[in-house]
Amino acid sequence: MEAVVVLMDNLWVAIGAILVFFMLGGFILLEAGSTRMKNAGHVAGKTIFTAGLGTLVFWAVGYGFIYGDGNPFIGLSNFFYGDTTTAEEAGGLTPAVDFSFQVMFALISLTVAFGGFAERAKLSVYVIFAILFSAFIYPVVAHWIWGGGWLAEHGKQDFAGSTVVHLTGAMAALAATMILKPRIGKYNKDGSSNVLAGHNQVYTTLGVLVLWVGWFGFNGASTFGVADGFLGYVILNTQLAAGAGAVAAMFTAWVKTGKADVPSTLNGALAGLVAITASCGFVAPWAAVVIGLIGGVMMVFSMQFFEKLKLDDPIAALSVHGTVGVWGTLSNGLFALPALSTDIDWGQAGLFYGGGWEQLGVQTLGVVAAGAYAFVVSFVILKIMDKVMGGLRVTEEEEIMGLDMSEHGSYGYPEQMALEEAKLATAATKEKFS
Amino acid sequence: METYESIKVWKDANISSFLADNVSLNTFHDQVMLKVLEVAKENMEEREVPCSFTWFITGSGGRLEQGLISDQDHGIIYEQSTPENDLYFKVLGEELSRGLDIAGYPYCTGYIMSSNPVWCKSYNDWKKQISKWMEDESWESIRYLQIFYDARVLYGKEDCIKQLKTDIHQYQKEHPLLLGRFMANVKHVKNAIGPMGQILVEQHGKYQGSINLKYVAFLPYVNSIRLLSIKEGLCETATLERMKELQKIAEYEGLLKSSYGNFSALMNYRLTLLHVNEYDDTHYLNVKDLTREQRKEIKGILKGGKKLHDAVIELVSDNE
Repeated sequence: MEAVVVLMDNLWVAIGAILVFFMLGGFILLEAGSTRMKNAGHVAGKTIFTAGLGTLVFWAVGYGFIYGDGNPFIGLSNFFYGDTTTAEEAGGLTPAVDFSFQVMFALISLTVAFGGFAERAKLSVYVIFAILFSAFIYPVVAHWIWGGGWLAEHGKQDFAGSTVVHLTGAMAALAATMILKPRIGKYNKDGSSNVLAGHNQVYTTLGVLVLWVGWFGFNGASTFGVADGFLGYVILNTQLAAGAGAVAAMFTAWVKTGKADVPSTLNGALAGLVAITASCGFVAPWAAVVIGLIGGVMMVFSMQFFEKLKLDDPIAALSVHGTVGVWGTLSNGLFALPALSTDIDWGQAGLFYGGGWEQLGVQTLGVVAAGAYAFVVSFVILKIMDKVMGGLRVTEEEEIMGLDMSEHGSYGYPEQMALEEAKLATAATKEKFS
Repeated sequence: METYESIKVWKDANISSFLADNVSLNTFHDQVMLKVLEVAKENMEEREVPCSFTWFITGSGGRLEQGLISDQDHGIIYEQSTPENDLYFKVLGEELSRGLDIAGYPYCTGYIMSSNPVWCKSYNDWKKQISKWMEDESWESIRYLQIFYDARVLYGKEDCIKQLKTDIHQYQKEHPLLLGRFMANVKHVKNAIGPMGQILVEQHGKYQGSINLKYVAFLPYVNSIRLLSIKEGLCETATLERMKELQKIAEYEGLLKSSYGNFSALMNYRLTLLHVNEYDDTHYLNVKDLTREQRKEIKGILKGGKKLHDAVIELVSDNE
């Protein structure tokens, strides 16, 4: 029986790894749909490329920095990962299954970060930053919280990565958004902003659905086992929060603007998912609903806030993964059940369950420390890259023509873009001779 | 000799003296456009006008509701169709549109202009066209009929327009379903007040923080009052004049009680509060520039418009 359970644990986490990897498909659709036609091929294609590059870096050094033996700040062994221990030998998850699951999380965080680069960064910037992020940013935060680092010792609860994956990615996105500056045409001279609408709302919607499904692996397989069926509980909480996030965001958008805006609804579902990621294994289902609802509402206001600050965030990465990532992490400090925290020696119960302020304090420290590290290091790296590479951004001409053409030499939508080009050429000729 | 350019210079120099009220502003616009007509006629190769004709303006001009800047909406009805007349008025229509554009009335994006053959016809052809529109009942032809119903004569005899409008009224009486089609054409109203009772403003773009007066404030009043005017066969074109006439009918007394005050206040808002540089500017009112009392008043106007619109829709639906 025990052997069967071990094999099933391995299988479940392997399925989890596949589901999390499939979330990249969700991001491809979400990001491509949320951006303009002239950049669609680039936005979609770079995700595959950076997933490949991120995997290699994570294999070479990332995993070692997280889980290797080292100090509270960083792990320092297990580089060029190659542990072939079997399940039988390990008496539990094989290290390879664990590695496969972990690498996918790093790729998700990287993809979130690249949301802040959309539609204006050079391809070479993606290459360099993918390497540096996968080596020095994500693994450090993951080590602190999951790899036995100083925050783990502190009792920080982050079940599947509201902080580790989402906030870390979003902080890198924030640094990039600040340095890259808004896309051409996003803001008018008088400070008002324009909608640079994504080219395909159906893609975006389907992207959200794929992400939602993938999240069952993201959160569900973070149980690392099937024995007591706890994965069902985690999936239930995940589903409830996602639904609540979608409903809350649509309602908030409607109350605010009189229109039940589709992109807000979609981002609301994602906000619910991000919010519950930290707490899905710690809280009661009713609390999951509350966490998702608040996440959805926050996301709408957060998007407006960043827009006012002139931080152009095409994919809403800052709000969905950043603001709501913070909320998700803090929500543990409020709602964590004693049975799922104190009783199993994983931090303390939340404020509402007699745990006092302790866990909330731990969660806050975790968010601030991890967020600050991810932001500062990303900012410094990107600033240096900016100087060394002669700017992070494509030229104005390239941005107008689209990154499909400037960075890759062919359009994702060749027929439509040929028409656009012809129009531009005519306009330019007219201007020249008028 | 007067040119379109000199008319524009004269218009720009003098318009500020006519901003006290909407009637004088619109009378001034009429004067400017009549000057354009004179120059257009002068510019024709044929010096003699071959037959009598009526030049009408419609849209906000027809309703005497033009702001500081207005686009052009107009048409021609001439006495008789002959190859010479058709050619003359085709050329005159084109010349008029060009002249108005130069004089500061931008081209109409919906092509409601005398340069468009649809809006430049002999009386008999107009009669045929209007019957066709009424029988056709397509979304576009219904829209054209409503636009035509706001037509006001700027030059020439009024009888022909009156007769054509009477035709519409008569047909509508015999075919009550037509009114339902008119209604369907203007049934949608952009939400102006949010669920929390707040004024809904533009979220993005050049007019961020402003309300689009045309869509959320003017159109609910204009459209519902026009609908009642068609039903009752009124000849007035100005919304306020139409309201006055409709108030005389007992059935509408209660319905229109606050509408007159609301709509006059709305017209004054547009006149006094805007710094306009281009046509679109005349439609947007920045909520931030308003005092608390003004916001309250605007909210009342918006709510009143929606209420009137909904009541008229209900009334017309009941009568169907």
